[in-house]
Amino acid sequence: MRKDSITRLLAMIDQIALNMRANGCDHEVAEQVAQHLEKFWSPKMKSAVIEHCSTGPSEVSAITGKAVHCLHLIQKAKSS
Amino acid sequence: MLNFYQPQPDQGTPEKITGKQVTLQIDGVDVTVAEGTSVMRAASQSSVKIPRLCATDQLESFGSCRVCLVEIQGRKGYPASCTTPVEAGMQVRTQSDQLAKLRRNVMELYISDHPLDCLTCPTNGDCELQDTAGELGLREVRYGYSGANHLDSGKDTTNPYFTFDASKCIVCSRCVRACEEVQGTFALTVDGRGFDSVISAGQGEDFMSSECVSCGACVDACPTATLTEKSIIELGKPEHSVVTTCAYCGVGCSFQAEMKGDQVVRMTPHKQGKANQGHACVKGRFAFGYVTHKDRITQPMIRNSIAEEWTTVSWDEAVQFAAQRFTDIQAAHGKNSIGAISSSRCTNEEVYLVQKMVRTGFGNNNIDTCARVCHSPTGFGLKTTLGESAGTQTFASVDEADVVIVMGANPTDAHPVFASRLKRRLRAGAKLIVIDPRKIELVSSPHIKAEFHLPVRPGTNVTVLNALAHVIISEERHAEDYINERSDVEAFAKWRNFILDEKHSPENTADITGIDAAELRGAARLYAQAANAAIFYGLGVTEHSQGSTAVMAIANLAMLTGNLGREGVGVNPLRGQNNVQGSCDMGSFPHELPGYRHISDSQTRQLFEDEWKVSLDAEPGLRIPNMFDAALDGDFKGLYCQGEDIAQSDPNTQHVEAALTALECLVVQDIFLNETAKFAHVFLPGATFLEKDGTFTNAERRISRVRKAIAPLSGKADWQATMAFANALGCNMTYEHPSEIMAEIARLTPTFAGVSYEKLDQLGSIQWPCNAAAPEGTPIMHVDEFVRGKGFFALTEYVPTDERANRKFPLLLTTGRILSQYNVGAQTRRTENSQWHPEDIVEIHPHDAEERGISQGDWIGIQSRVGETVLRAEVTERVTPGVIYTTFHHPVSGANVITTENSDWATNCPEYKVTAVQVSKVSQPSSWQKRQKNYHDEQLQLLEKALQ
Repeated sequence: MRKDSITRLLAMIDQIALNMRANGCDHEVAEQVAQHLEKFWSPKMKSAVIEHCSTGPSEVSAITGKAVHCLHLIQKAKSS
Repeated sequence: MLNFYQPQPDQGTPEKITGKQVTLQIDGVDVTVAEGTSVMRAASQSSVKIPRLCATDQLESFGSCRVCLVEIQGRKGYPASCTTPVEAGMQVRTQSDQLAKLRRNVMELYISDHPLDCLTCPTNGDCELQDTAGELGLREVRYGYSGANHLDSGKDTTNPYFTFDASKCIVCSRCVRACEEVQGTFALTVDGRGFDSVISAGQGEDFMSSECVSCGACVDACPTATLTEKSIIELGKPEHSVVTTCAYCGVGCSFQAEMKGDQVVRMTPHKQGKANQGHACVKGRFAFGYVTHKDRITQPMIRNSIAEEWTTVSWDEAVQFAAQRFTDIQAAHGKNSIGAISSSRCTNEEVYLVQKMVRTGFGNNNIDTCARVCHSPTGFGLKTTLGESAGTQTFASVDEADVVIVMGANPTDAHPVFASRLKRRLRAGAKLIVIDPRKIELVSSPHIKAEFHLPVRPGTNVTVLNALAHVIISEERHAEDYINERSDVEAFAKWRNFILDEKHSPENTADITGIDAAELRGAARLYAQAANAAIFYGLGVTEHSQGSTAVMAIANLAMLTGNLGREGVGVNPLRGQNNVQGSCDMGSFPHELPGYRHISDSQTRQLFEDEWKVSLDAEPGLRIPNMFDAALDGDFKGLYCQGEDIAQSDPNTQHVEAALTALECLVVQDIFLNETAKFAHVFLPGATFLEKDGTFTNAERRISRVRKAIAPLSGKADWQATMAFANALGCNMTYEHPSEIMAEIARLTPTFAGVSYEKLDQLGSIQWPCNAAAPEGTPIMHVDEFVRGKGFFALTEYVPTDERANRKFPLLLTTGRILSQYNVGAQTRRTENSQWHPEDIVEIHPHDAEERGISQGDWIGIQSRVGETVLRAEVTERVTPGVIYTTFHHPVSGANVITTENSDWATNCPEYKVTAVQVSKVSQPSSWQKRQKNYHDEQLQLLEKALQ
């Protein structure tokens, strides 16, 4: 996936999180964002952001980092 | 429903729906009708026709022609049956020597001033004047024909679709009343008095120069040949007809396609059509010429690269070529490397087949539909709050509304038949609130004036909706009992705290929205105090980065005031295309199976797996913008695009073109070589709505039959083309008729369980859900409880778009439609409708124009962060300072060259309605427009060689 595409996906997660920010604390919002991604994103998009955030330092916002972490847990739970 | 041609039945005066029934006697026979019914209609209901000229059941009775006189026992004189309401025990006589004499006397006067050219008249055999003369036994005209008359009055032929021949006019005022009562435009009037009375368009103008919107209501109403379709004048009377459904906007008007052999002579609005009840607009009524336009491509074509000439081939060769390419791509790049986009212009059965082909033949969920770029936020927002991805009402329900909010929609241009109904209700006293950056026609038009116009700054809808809710709840104008009974009270309590925050007050948000706080408070109070208040909204709500939030905020407002679950209220998305609702219902989104059931739900998946005999992928597929990005990433190589012109309609054209160019195989199925097809390797010729059977579902959830009037020009209807492609891929589709596809949909989809072609023929149309609980459908949703159980008040935090005006791009561009053209214009540009709108123009406020030295008609360059285009300027106060507006009906305009990829946070619906731009006077087209012209010319050459 091109760097542009990853950047765009991360920006989309930021945007989703911003729009959900009134729904609760950071942890709750991160959970909800992850559920949203799980529900609407293709496997490749999900794996791309998980891989990006788990391979070394990346310029992602704190809430996006948390959401991707939650998404990773959902994926792991599904595959186990 | 193939019928020998007959004019549609006319009961003389409109139906009255009242609880009380009245029994009277007509010609000695007892007749029972609703109180308020006219004697004329009561007679008609008992199969007694009273002669008439000025009466028709589409218009209120007028009583001017004096032909419909009757005798009523105990009454003096001869009352007009059209204006006399029935009374219990009334005894009416419709025929007597005296009545015959009186009627003939009147008729003699009419005929003494009418050309006696019946045999050569275009409406010979279809003329009420001629019929009435026959019914009355008129054998002579004692006055002769040499007196003063109007026989030399000229013809007005300026309108491209109909003529006005004043010499044949009997001044019955039916056309004038149709323009007022049915259409609501008030373009026609009776000019002069007595013998000098003539029908006049505008203020003595010709039809084309007047305010006439060419809806055809006057033509339908005319009892003579005065207002006649040019097609009838040229081709003569139809000999058979087929009832079908319009393929333009989401109103879904029912039409009678009137035919001579395999030629459509005219389209007349069907009175039994529940969405339109006998009315139409200039597109549906007249703009069908594209069906046989010379640009139609009716042979399949293939080529190896987009720089090569096309080769015409057989259907079998074309689908085998496409299937082999797709199979090779999947072998090389994986099963997710191909996908499809289906069209909201195609039938339910066709879009169902496309998603089935993707899920069973492609083996993935890479299916999306053009609803992605219009109403996907409606699906998300209404499902979240109310539990169902659909509007809640019938159009007719607006007749019971006391207050109507129209937000981000321009019904008089985009949904004209609904607009006429709405105007009728407003003229009867309902109040209107318009929330729109532009001063749309409804804000102020003849006999209509919005109580409030809130000219919202583009991109701030959510703030406005939150402020309206803030006023209602802080002033305790909410429907507490309704909320307690119908909503999730915990969610409501949380939302209440959220919305009561003073940051949402009209005063604190005025700087963001640009709306005067007192005006906003007034609008909120008006909406909240209404006995019945309805909200109608369009793409001005959904096509924003917060589109889904705005839809949820609208649902919140309706729940807050108890305005859901009965007549006259509701949340009503005005769908742009004919089958947006249907394409969404049919599982065209990459995460949902038909009936809005998530692909990850194993029980639902099992149901489809059992029926389709394949294993389904449980993961969501790619949305349209994801497909473009994946194509540029090199992961997505093959696309089947049915009836959708993504190269013109999707945002950031240059990005879309790059993605299409990156594909190894693009299969386009369309009726014309559209902008997208210029990037294609396989072209499968599409069929118009007149060439196929199926169903469309309109914005009311109304499923209506589409019936084949002519054979498909290419030999295959679209469902047959998809089936051929699917079978070439190894699927086993064996449908003989779309009714079999609908039967499969009904088996698999609970909300469609009771739908069948037989029932559609019987009932005319059905609003889903239609199942055991609602065997004849569901006109009003959420009556006793919401589909999700308790209504959910979603928190609607306002997040400003990233697309902001600044010093470099100080204006905000917003886009929309015009009455005479439809979306990308592929159909309407190939009709006479282009006479009204030959090019897209950009509206700019006089203040902004003056600052930049721009005058009316100047070419102006519009620059955004992603591109530039050039359009002609219209300087007008319809837009507010700081906002410019254009349409996107012509490819050369490049409106989407400047729109960005910003999109709705939840659904990726593009933010067409907000683009920061700068404009300046220029003298030549933009570089994109020059490239587009060159590419267009090259591709036409490659096509012409193939078709030689």
